Amino acid sequence: MKGSLRSRLTSSLFVLPYFLCFCVFLLYPLISGIILSLQNNDMLGTHEFVGLQNYVDIFTPGTYIHDAFFRGLWGTVKFVVYSVPFLILVGLALALLVNSLNARVRGVFRTIFFIPYAISATVMATIWMRVFDTDSGFLNLMLDKLHIHHQQHIGWFTDTPWVWIALVVSTIWWTIGFNMMLFINGLNEVPEELYEAAKLDGANAWNRLTRITLPSIKNVTAVVMVMTIIASFNVFAQPNLMTRGGPGFETTVMLMNVFDVAYGQHQGGAASAMAILLGLIMMIVSAAVYRLLFRKEA
Amino acid sequence: MKRLNRFGFTAAILVLMMSLVLAACGGKKESNGSSASASGSAPASSDNSGGKSGSKTELLFWTPFSGPDGSFMKSIVDNYNKQSDKYFVKYQIQPNGDYYKLLDNAFGTKKNMPDFMIMHLDSIPTYAKKDLLLPMDDLAAKAGIQKSDYVEAAVDYANIDGKWMGIPLDIHPLIMYYNKDLFQAAGITAPPTNKEEFLAAAKKLTDPSKGQWGYVMPTQWPQQFLFPSLVYQQGADLADADGKPTLNTPAAVAALEFEKSLIFEHKVSPQKVAQDGEVKLFLQGKNAIQFNGPWMKDQWDKAKLNYGVAPIPVFFDKPGVFAGSHNFVVPKSQTDPNKLDGIGDFLKYVAGHSIDWAKSGQAVASKAVLNSEEFKALNTQQTEVAKEFDYVHFAPPVPNWGSYVGELWKQINLVLLNDGDVKKALDEAQAKAEQAAAANK
Repeated sequence: MKGSLRSRLTSSLFVLPYFLCFCVFLLYPLISGIILSLQNNDMLGTHEFVGLQNYVDIFTPGTYIHDAFFRGLWGTVKFVVYSVPFLILVGLALALLVNSLNARVRGVFRTIFFIPYAISATVMATIWMRVFDTDSGFLNLMLDKLHIHHQQHIGWFTDTPWVWIALVVSTIWWTIGFNMMLFINGLNEVPEELYEAAKLDGANAWNRLTRITLPSIKNVTAVVMVMTIIASFNVFAQPNLMTRGGPGFETTVMLMNVFDVAYGQHQGGAASAMAILLGLIMMIVSAAVYRLLFRKEA
Repeated sequence: MKRLNRFGFTAAILVLMMSLVLAACGGKKESNGSSASASGSAPASSDNSGGKSGSKTELLFWTPFSGPDGSFMKSIVDNYNKQSDKYFVKYQIQPNGDYYKLLDNAFGTKKNMPDFMIMHLDSIPTYAKKDLLLPMDDLAAKAGIQKSDYVEAAVDYANIDGKWMGIPLDIHPLIMYYNKDLFQAAGITAPPTNKEEFLAAAKKLTDPSKGQWGYVMPTQWPQQFLFPSLVYQQGADLADADGKPTLNTPAAVAALEFEKSLIFEHKVSPQKVAQDGEVKLFLQGKNAIQFNGPWMKDQWDKAKLNYGVAPIPVFFDKPGVFAGSHNFVVPKSQTDPNKLDGIGDFLKYVAGHSIDWAKSGQAVASKAVLNSEEFKALNTQQTEVAKEFDYVHFAPPVPNWGSYVGELWKQINLVLLNDGDVKKALDEAQAKAEQAAAANK
């Protein structure tokens, strides 16, 4: 039918720009990456096809790349586990707080909490290294004034577990604005009538939160969780700039090792294989989380 | 909803969406793990086909001098261009952190290749081994450049398989910076020259109750310069003549034991120093001595510190210090004889006129400039740095050497933070280095 064909043609045309973008910026690099991972490529013009050898090496104990992969994976997984719960809880808390403000100041605080998201990684690192440095850092100077840990300053970047606290805190400051905005949107979708009805029935604030708000934003939470997990798996700037992967290799994350294998060892194929495996792991984790949480509205 | 029955309207919407989507895709912020230099994927300008600028041959020149030293090289290039009627050097700065990524991309894709560029001396073996660099012997001979025009150490290192692969611009070794005010207050009249003087001075300058330290030991960068220097001072190296790593020799153990002792035994350094901790304390006037590179000069000047410069003390048997060096190299793909003449002409000019580069705080490799009155009249930093030229060592000329010693820095870091077992740590580092060597085939 003419109408149906035209409407399908129109909708296809609307999707076309995004599809082109997808092909150029996502599909093509992904396929190139997969091809690269099947090569022995020194990133300088020489390459030869080696099939699955890179993947085999990753799972062969004792090889350089096996250690690089699993050490990096361990560091990344630790960061994901430590950072994701806080990134979600703090994002939700900020959204609830901001939404409870009156309309005049709401916008101001939303902006204030979002601004750090817009600054570059280098600026973020400079700020937080200023805060967490062992002897000149702002935090330890404050603790000195309160006579806490006076004899030996806490090594926020040099000791476990303090280094994870430092990384997670600076990550929250840097990126929480994004999660907060998504949660604000989700909260705004909850119908006001539900709250009014609940108040009439005598529900207090805690009940309203746990029985109405949280269940209503379950889908938004699922989306935020998946996005946050993906983002945390991709962590690179914070450990690279602030801790150099230290102390030792405690905070050495996967992407740092991918970078090192690609440009330090000049083995682009092996690095690509590492990255692809990381991507697979991320896909499985995200799919599992999404499956568990997301419920389609009936 | 209105029916979109006007073609123009639909087309306009499509164009608007296309531009929005492309803008969004291009500027898409990577996740909260984006790298610091995320956007550095294309060179600043792409006009590099080497066409003629007016009637002059254009030579595209890449450098990683994205810091304050970039403007000093620019003066040299500008002055050269003014006095040359045949050649025009197009000076392009790449972000320092991205430099080798961009260079590797150019080599790999064979596109956007500069005509000549800066390369660190210890990277030359990696690229020379892959046959990506042009030997400079002919170019130098034609331009009247001789090896003897430059400091021997750099020239010898760049001589690979009998071919001269890079012409040096400068040599940047580790040097000693010290706080003159703190020295004066402690009654110390001259910077230390050996281990005994160093320990005595550092102890006098340490007062934990005031938060003041004689020498704050770095646990990350610049150990890459410091640790090897201590090894060289014992007549040893981090690799043998065959390029095999030797990271757990008695000399290496002694070097790391000494570093550790400054923190835990002599207590002239606080514990748990984080990256750049020693720099921050030096800037605050709470750290009396620091070893770092000449590039720090700008930071100290900006902080208006009353600082002095001197060669690092001889802690062990003989003088020795680790250095890097910026060199000029030419890609193998450069075959245009006219351009090669131009590059030679420019390099000859630089050998005689790199005084501007010296003004950035670097000590130049050209003997002509080093011996000139103008150089000696510059502030003391450069002349102090040049004193070390007789005994500089560079990293072992092993391709991909950086990946061999990645573990070494991590082990040193752990030992210095936790008062750990030195021999065990270095054995670990050695094992990993051998693993990296195996991976490099």
